[in-house]
Amino acid sequence: MSEGLVVVVRSVIGFFSLLIFARIIGKSQISQLTFFDYVLGITIGSMAASLATDLSSRAWPHWVALASWSALGFIMEKITVKWRYASKFLEGEPVIVIMNGKIMEEVMKKMKYTVSEIMGLLRNKGIFDVKQVEFAILEPNGQLSVLQKPEHLPLTPQDMKIKVSSSGISSELIYDGILIEQNLRQLKKDKKWLIKELKKQGIHDVSEVFYASLNPAGNLYVDRYQDRLQSVLDIGDYKGPY
Amino acid sequence: MRKFLVISIPVVTIILFILIMQGGNVLKRPLGNEVGIPKTIEMIVQDIKNENWDSASNHWDNLSKDWDKVIKRVQFSAERNEIEGLSLSIASLKGAIEAQDQSSGLQLSYQAYEHWEDLGE
Repeated sequence: MSEGLVVVVRSVIGFFSLLIFARIIGKSQISQLTFFDYVLGITIGSMAASLATDLSSRAWPHWVALASWSALGFIMEKITVKWRYASKFLEGEPVIVIMNGKIMEEVMKKMKYTVSEIMGLLRNKGIFDVKQVEFAILEPNGQLSVLQKPEHLPLTPQDMKIKVSSSGISSELIYDGILIEQNLRQLKKDKKWLIKELKKQGIHDVSEVFYASLNPAGNLYVDRYQDRLQSVLDIGDYKGPY
Repeated sequence: MRKFLVISIPVVTIILFILIMQGGNVLKRPLGNEVGIPKTIEMIVQDIKNENWDSASNHWDNLSKDWDKVIKRVQFSAERNEIEGLSLSIASLKGAIEAQDQSSGLQLSYQAYEHWEDLGE
């Protein structure tokens, strides 16, 4: 029995099974995960690890457990999407922890959150004074959504009645010295135009460019491999090996 | 076509994995010119009962060769302990045959047969 080979084959089975099941369950963002999703992920991952390395038992029971947990996760996912009543119980619901600058102690106690944790979440949002908060809502995934009081909200062009044009989404034209012709065509431009624009910036070949993008307003951003900076700022605070 | 591939590739992959993991029961059966492990064990048991030690030794050689081939096929679906258990029983059986020990020979033969039954189950 070649243990190494068996582990390789079982690892391939575990890896791709996990990939397929994860795609079926469908949670793509770690930030969307509730505590239960997180625990579910750890458990399924642990089963995949046992499948690959625990040669004292057959691969099949581990794989069945992996498939069963994934199936249950999928069913729970479907239930929470289709049935809001169950979703409230299974995934929890957003709760208000600060209202008009007042901390809701009872809610925090129920949610097992401390004031310092909430303050930390507020600071992550750039808010250092509870009085500035009109509503702070604790989401089921543990994130804090904050609505500041109107007097503390940042000024927007709309408040100033200033007309602004949309900058749109930039498309990559060059990445790692390679031209992405598909994006160029989508923006109704051609290679000739791009080379002309690059020449204006003193670039003679696409291979000199690390990254270039164009936004719908027509602004071309170009980053060369040689950035030609006079002095590069070092933000390291102590000496290391490099 | 794209949707078909998106669905069919994972389905085929999962079926292939299930076949690899559950193929032990089929792959442990004799292929080609192999006599088969249980049949060889039966022949060894008969030889030991009849105290026909030369024939038992020849059958043991065939059993050992067949088992080496079967291990390669069932290693992905069977548990290591059963494989090692059967290997150990076969090795010990050789000793019992050489010592012409009927009692140990029969015990080890039936032990090997039990390991064989559990292999890939």
